[in-house]
Amino acid sequence: MSAPEEQSQDELQQMKQWTVFKRLMSYTAPHKKRLTLAFFLLLIATAAELTGPILVKTFIDDYVTPRNFEQTALLILASSYIGLILISAAVNYIQFVLFQSVALDIIQTLRIQVFSKVHSLGLKFFDRTPVGSLVSRITNDTEAVKDLYVSVLSTFVQNIVFLFGIFGFMFYLNVKLALFCLGILPFIAGIMWMYRKYSSRSFYEMREKLSQLNAKLNESLQGMSIVQLFNQERRLRKEFAVINNEHNDAQIRNIKYNGLLLRPAVDLVYMLALLMILSFFGIKSFNSPVEIGVIYAFINYLDRFFEPVNMMMMRLSIFQQAIVSAGRVFTVMDEKEFAPIKEGNQEPAIQNGKIEFRNVTFSYDGEQEVLKNISFTALPGQTVALVGHTGSGKSSIINLLMRFYDVKKGQILIDDVPLTHFENKELREKVGLVLQDPFLFVGDIKQNIRMYNSEISDEDVLAAAQFVQASTFIEKLPDGFQTEIGERGATFSSGQRQLISFARTMAFSPKILILDEATANIDTETEEEIQLALQKMRSGRTTIAIAHRLSTIQDAELILVLHKGEIVERGTHQELLRERGLYHKMFLLQHGKDSMEEVG
Amino acid sequence: MKVFLQLMWFFKEEKWRYLGGIIMLGFVSLGLLVPPKVVGLIVDHIERGTITKGILWEYGGLLICIAIGIYILRYIWRILIFGAAVKLAMLLRNRLYEHFTKKSQAFYHKRRVGDLMAHSTNDLQAIQQTAGDGVLTLVDSLMMGGFTLIAMATTISWKLTLVSLLPLPIMAWATNKYGTMLHKRFHSAQEAFSTLNDKVQESISGTRVIKAFGQETDDIKSFENLSKDAVKKNMAVARIDSLFDPTISLIIGFSFFLAVSYGSILVTRNELTIGELVSFTSYLGLLIWPMLAFGWLFNIVERGRASYDRVESLLAVKEEIEDLGMIESSPHGDISYELKEFSYVDSTPVLKDIHFTLKRGQTLGIVGKTGSGKTSLCKLLLREYHLNHGAIFIDGHDIRDYKLQALRGAIGYVPQDHFLFSATIAENIAFSKVDAPFTEVKGAAELASIHKDISQFKYGYETVVGERGVTLSGGQKQRISIARALIKNPEILILDDSLSAVDAKTEESILQHLKVKRQNQTTIITAHRLSSIAHCDLIIVLENGTISQRGTHHSLVNEEGWYKETYERQALETLISEGGVMK
Repeated sequence: MSAPEEQSQDELQQMKQWTVFKRLMSYTAPHKKRLTLAFFLLLIATAAELTGPILVKTFIDDYVTPRNFEQTALLILASSYIGLILISAAVNYIQFVLFQSVALDIIQTLRIQVFSKVHSLGLKFFDRTPVGSLVSRITNDTEAVKDLYVSVLSTFVQNIVFLFGIFGFMFYLNVKLALFCLGILPFIAGIMWMYRKYSSRSFYEMREKLSQLNAKLNESLQGMSIVQLFNQERRLRKEFAVINNEHNDAQIRNIKYNGLLLRPAVDLVYMLALLMILSFFGIKSFNSPVEIGVIYAFINYLDRFFEPVNMMMMRLSIFQQAIVSAGRVFTVMDEKEFAPIKEGNQEPAIQNGKIEFRNVTFSYDGEQEVLKNISFTALPGQTVALVGHTGSGKSSIINLLMRFYDVKKGQILIDDVPLTHFENKELREKVGLVLQDPFLFVGDIKQNIRMYNSEISDEDVLAAAQFVQASTFIEKLPDGFQTEIGERGATFSSGQRQLISFARTMAFSPKILILDEATANIDTETEEEIQLALQKMRSGRTTIAIAHRLSTIQDAELILVLHKGEIVERGTHQELLRERGLYHKMFLLQHGKDSMEEVG
Repeated sequence: MKVFLQLMWFFKEEKWRYLGGIIMLGFVSLGLLVPPKVVGLIVDHIERGTITKGILWEYGGLLICIAIGIYILRYIWRILIFGAAVKLAMLLRNRLYEHFTKKSQAFYHKRRVGDLMAHSTNDLQAIQQTAGDGVLTLVDSLMMGGFTLIAMATTISWKLTLVSLLPLPIMAWATNKYGTMLHKRFHSAQEAFSTLNDKVQESISGTRVIKAFGQETDDIKSFENLSKDAVKKNMAVARIDSLFDPTISLIIGFSFFLAVSYGSILVTRNELTIGELVSFTSYLGLLIWPMLAFGWLFNIVERGRASYDRVESLLAVKEEIEDLGMIESSPHGDISYELKEFSYVDSTPVLKDIHFTLKRGQTLGIVGKTGSGKTSLCKLLLREYHLNHGAIFIDGHDIRDYKLQALRGAIGYVPQDHFLFSATIAENIAFSKVDAPFTEVKGAAELASIHKDISQFKYGYETVVGERGVTLSGGQKQRISIARALIKNPEILILDDSLSAVDAKTEESILQHLKVKRQNQTTIITAHRLSSIAHCDLIIVLENGTISQRGTHHSLVNEEGWYKETYERQALETLISEGGVMK
């Protein structure tokens, strides 16, 4: 990459950073009142804190130097000094807490916004975004933004006010010297600018090397078996040592920059400023008497001047990190891949549960069609079974029926109303999905059956569990329905998990049932119960079922055999067997020749 | 502080850096005592009216020299001490890495990669901090505090020192107290954050269910509650955290108050000059940092010790596979398994009574259900695990008699989980032969029937693959890892279920290539699909870790049993996946 290009990219980066920063600042708007109060308190605390040296100055110049000890005056002076430090401590504490509470509230808002946003996105978005990175956006990145508000912005505001305060008091004491002291500022600004320019770059380089180092390590650990089997240990050790060395060098470079530009440099400026103040008073005293108290106060202010500067310098790198994180959070917030939503103004209800697919063609990526011209009708109460090998398009039919994806070609109707016209709530309540992998949430069994729906009473939960005969095993548990589900239900067998998820679906008493049958991972002991439960669930409900074991769907009113996204055979079990086509062969595969002879 | 003893070996190794750094720190501390003194002296001169240009120049020059000296010394000690700490981390990181490369698979079975990563990152960081900031804080706070106290008590007034230091212990006590409280609250804030993290993880993984039940709004509400809880816990932290600064300023304020009031009394008694009083207050300011440093130091040291212990115990894990063999030449010849029993860490045996002999140049097929022990059988030949009962022989010698490197040098292994490194395709293929000429890389790719695919990539053999590279299909990855094994032209080639993701036609061509190319070399193939092993000279069927059938394809299809059943089932499956049309 050529230098100018790099330059322009740097600028672009900075422009983007600025936009992100402005957007972050817009979050402070709703907290204006509290922020104003905090700022006001900050002014008071700063003033109180910085008045102290003035009192000492008065004490030295008016009382100590002339040896004038007037008791009441001294008492007033002393008590106001103590009063001031008490006030500044108390008020400071309150404003610190206030600033933090605003910062945390902003993070709360930001988190809920991004979480809600993610929930409004369609499955298409989830298909292409790894879970880990998305979780990271919502938690780790917002946490980094928290650091920005809590430890960077509030510190900057507080310290800048403090610096202004110091200069204010310096001007009060001696305008000329204060003007001289303003001369410090360009030095400080220069150091900051250099630090940002060089140190932040070396800091970035160090991070980069560290992530390379960790990537290498991680990869080696994962592929260690290969490394060892191919006798490459020595080579990789060398390669690792090289990166490790580079990381080391980058760190040393960073230490050097920090040594040149951070505290040591700031302290150097301090000493020079000190020298300036002393010379000023020294020279001044050649011609006229100088008040010692003023010298004391000036030096005291100077001592306090540099701590905030050091503090701000140290926080600069956090700032950079936080802006990057915020940028990532905003990218998610600006995502446009929304979940399909309702169209039209009517609020149709699902009464009977008739389902119709009309010439539906579908593709996830817009290139490869996974469903081609699918048409079928399931009358109320009927069971339609989908069979076919992996990748034949069975799951896509279910995904569309659940309105997880938008249908672009063709139409899906429920009770002769287009699927797109239903309210989300109506659809989710009336169409019950039972997934292949019964996903259980943290919480107890009852919560897992009821989900968050408060309309479902304890009795309903019990009834649902009894209906699918999950109650038999649940009641045997020491805590019954209150049994906590740990680690995604790892303590339960897959059959038991399946039964709980059945009960969950039944608790919502859906009109339409969509079953994505588990392949083969069900233990035999619960197998029978599951089949029984499925029978019961299906009766009286329109059911679309993906079946892997053909034995479970022999009574289906319609069986659709899918191959490469097309319906290649359709009919009842007996009809399809007679056809001696694909279905017939699948049946053979599962049951062997013996049972075939039985069927005839 | 025990960790400093544990790290003594390193401090000794780097004694010049540390000694140099500490001496410089001492000079910096001494240097920092000068400016307040100079201020006091000049103030006294001004007060007495004895100030001259000469004095100003003299002191000015002194201050500038001190300032520049301190700047340089600070720069150097940082490089010395922090540089040493960085070196320690690098050293330990290399040591860990080397250790990792020597550990057998049993080691990796017991540990998660994430944990090992954590040791190599977080723990090393804590150790580095101990050797850098820890040493600095200890030395600097002791010297700075000590020197300042001495300067105050001896050059100004011990009485004044005593009086003004009265409030400081309260500060040490208070900050310590806050520290413990903060620690607890911080811990619970961390917990709240990790609960929040789990919640998000669950919601995102369970999106489908949440959407299916239309529970988005409720899920957001539940997130909101957890998030609120996190805010509450963080607020509890903030309430303590915000106490530090005000408390410190308050105590310092009192200390100054005492110094100035009592100091003025001393001034009026002529026991003290006004300039000395001014110096004294500046010295008080220098004492703040050493007072606070100790709390911080304990934190660093505590973390460093725990981390160092973890790293030490990791490094202390003994070798399980002992490389005691004497034969340095790579083995070739007949392979024979005389296996009584083999089990992994847990005691249920994975393999039992495995006896067979494979002549040099023959091809062995191993089939059986998932978990029947096929991979274990292969891995034992590679000595990835320790074999207790029984032995495996190559050319009449127990494989333990060969040097590990010699043994493994003879074997080309293609694993089930086709793992590729984040590197170019060429580098991945030439993994064991880094400087192989391109023709050789290409030759291996051709044998593995992947050359055509590679040429279609935009960057050809220079295409970067692996975690951060382009995504390859499972079949492509498998074939690249086959090429990686073939470039060794190994005496023994093991294809461990590594044709599962390639289609039937490609499989056939790869097998054909191998047949031609590997006339006098031994090949072992495990597979689910019988078509992969039908041509083998010997086929063994594994069931629950024992050999249930053996023979050739021809003999096995004519024998009732698992092989025949599977053969028929797979023929039908092939038919169905092709849409049921007979070709």
